[in-house]
Amino acid sequence: MSTVFAQPVTGWIVGATLGVLAAASLIILALARSGRIGPALTKELWQRTGVWAVLLPIMLGVVLVAPATLIAFTTIVGILCLREFDRATGLFRERLMVAIVVCGILAVNYAALINWYGFFVALWPLTVSLLAVASLPLDRPAGYIQRVGLAVFGFMLFGSGLAHLGFMANDPAYRPIVLLLMLTVAFNDVAAFTCGKLIGGPKLLPATSPNKTISGAVGAMLVTTTLVALVGKAIFAGGPMDHWGKLIVLGLLVSVAGQCGDLMLSSIKRDLGIKDMGAVLPGHGGVLDRANSLLLVAPAAFHFLYYFGGIDFPPFR
Amino acid sequence: MSDWQLRPARDLGQAPNARLKSLARERGLGSVLLREAWRGLVGTYLTLAHRPVIEGRENLPAKPPYVLIANHSSHMDTLLLGHVLQGAAAREAHALAAGEVFFGSDKAAIFAAYAINALPVWRKQTKGSDLALMRARLAEDGLVYILFPEGTRARDGVMAPFKPGIGTLVAGTGIPVVPCALEGCHAAWPADATWPRPGRLRVRIGAPLRFDEVANQPRGWVTVAQRCEDAVRALMP
Repeated sequence: MSTVFAQPVTGWIVGATLGVLAAASLIILALARSGRIGPALTKELWQRTGVWAVLLPIMLGVVLVAPATLIAFTTIVGILCLREFDRATGLFRERLMVAIVVCGILAVNYAALINWYGFFVALWPLTVSLLAVASLPLDRPAGYIQRVGLAVFGFMLFGSGLAHLGFMANDPAYRPIVLLLMLTVAFNDVAAFTCGKLIGGPKLLPATSPNKTISGAVGAMLVTTTLVALVGKAIFAGGPMDHWGKLIVLGLLVSVAGQCGDLMLSSIKRDLGIKDMGAVLPGHGGVLDRANSLLLVAPAAFHFLYYFGGIDFPPFR
Repeated sequence: MSDWQLRPARDLGQAPNARLKSLARERGLGSVLLREAWRGLVGTYLTLAHRPVIEGRENLPAKPPYVLIANHSSHMDTLLLGHVLQGAAAREAHALAAGEVFFGSDKAAIFAAYAINALPVWRKQTKGSDLALMRARLAEDGLVYILFPEGTRARDGVMAPFKPGIGTLVAGTGIPVVPCALEGCHAAWPADATWPRPGRLRVRIGAPLRFDEVANQPRGWVTVAQRCEDAVRALMP
C-alpha cells in the first residue's frame, strides 16, 4: 500500500475521482427531485452514471494494483475493441488476418510486460509486414488492399497504440501519470458534452457527428488543458516536466487527441451506417465507443513525456 | 478485380443472448476455434469408439455452398456428418437443429452455438422471413447446412418420409444437395439412451442432386423432398 500511494498525488486523484462520481449522482438526484429534468433524461443520466460507477473503479484498480494488471487491461480492452471493429467492418470474415492482429496485440503487450522497448517498437513494422504477406498463399488478390488495410488499422489502434499506456507501467512512478491520462481523457469527453449543451452554437463537423459543437470542442480543450496542467504540476514537481509550457502542451495533446479519437470512431460508424459498435455498456454502446478517446492519446502522450523525461524506464538488460 | 464491400456482421448490435439463438449469427475467430476444438474431441472419440467407415467422399463438392442430408435416428448423426467434412466445408458447416431441444435454455444454446455450430429451427413457428434468411445465407455466405429432412429422430431407426422444408432452401438454385445414408447410429445411440455405446458406424455419400429447374413454390418443394428421400433410400443397404 505504501508503494501504491508513494506519491501523495495518487491518493488525491483517487479521492477526487470518487468524489466527482458521488457529486454527479447527487446532482442528478437533486435535478430529478426538483423536476428540472424529464424522466427520459433522468433515466439516461442514471444509466450513464451507473456504467461510470463500474468503469471508474476498474480503471483505478488496474492502475493501482500492479504494472501487470494495467498491461492485462490494455490487452483485454485491445482484443474487445478489435472484436467490435472487425465485426462492424466485416474484417472478421478474414480469420487469418484477425488471428495475426490478435497475436500482434498479445506480443506488443508482452513486450510491455517485460520492458523490452526495442521489441515493442519493432513489432509495428514486423506485424504490418506479416499482415502484408500472410494472405498471399491464399492466392486471392481480390480485396487484398482492404483486408490488409483494415488489419493494419486495427493493429495500430488496438495493439501498438493502446499498449503505450501499459508500457508506461515500466516507469516506477507510473501510477499518477497513467491515472492522469485515463481520467482526463474521460473527463474531456464529459467536458465536451457539457460545454456543448450549455453553450450550444455552430456544429463542429455535422456530417461526421451531428451532436458535436465548436463550443464543446473548444470548451473541453480549455478545461481539460487546465486540469492536466494543474494536476501535472503536482505529479511532475521538481522533474524535467515541471514547466508550465510543457504541461499546457501535454494538456492540449490529451484534449485534441482525445477528441480526434472520438471523431475517428464517428467517421468509421458513419461510413458503415451504424450507430454503436456494440451493446455491452448501456447508454454508451460498445467497449470501443467508450475507449475510442484513449486510443490516440496513449501513443501521443507517451512519446511527448518520454522525449521530455516525464517518464523513464530502467534498461532492458 | 471484384468489389470489396464493408459488410458488417449480420448479427451486429444483437444482445449476446439473442445472438446465440439468431439465424443471423456469424462466427468470428473465437467461435471457430471453440468449434474446431470440440470437433477434434468428437473426431478422436468417433475414431476410437466407432471406427467410422466413410464411402463416396469424392461425391462431396469441392467447396461450399452445399447441403448435406441424411436419414436421422440418433444424435450421433450430426456428430458423424460433422466428422465427415474437412477444411473450409467443416468450418462453414451449420447443423439445422430443433430450437426446442437445442436452444431451449441458455446453457443448451451456448453449447449448440459454440460446439455444434447449430442454427435453430422452431417447430411450426418458422416464419417465411426465417426461411428466406437461411436460403440467402446458404448462397451469399457460402455455408454448408447439415439437415435431416425427416424433421426428427426416428425412434425405431426406420427412416420416415422427408418433409418439404428442404425444398424451400434449394429449389430454383444451383446449390447441390448431397444425400448420405448413415448406418449403425441408431444401434450406437438410440433416442432413449443417455450415453452412446461403441459400435461400427458407416456413411455412404451419394452423388449430389441439383434443383435449379424446380420451381421455388410448394409443389416444387414436395418434388425436392421426394427426390432427396429416393436418393437417400437408394444408398441404404
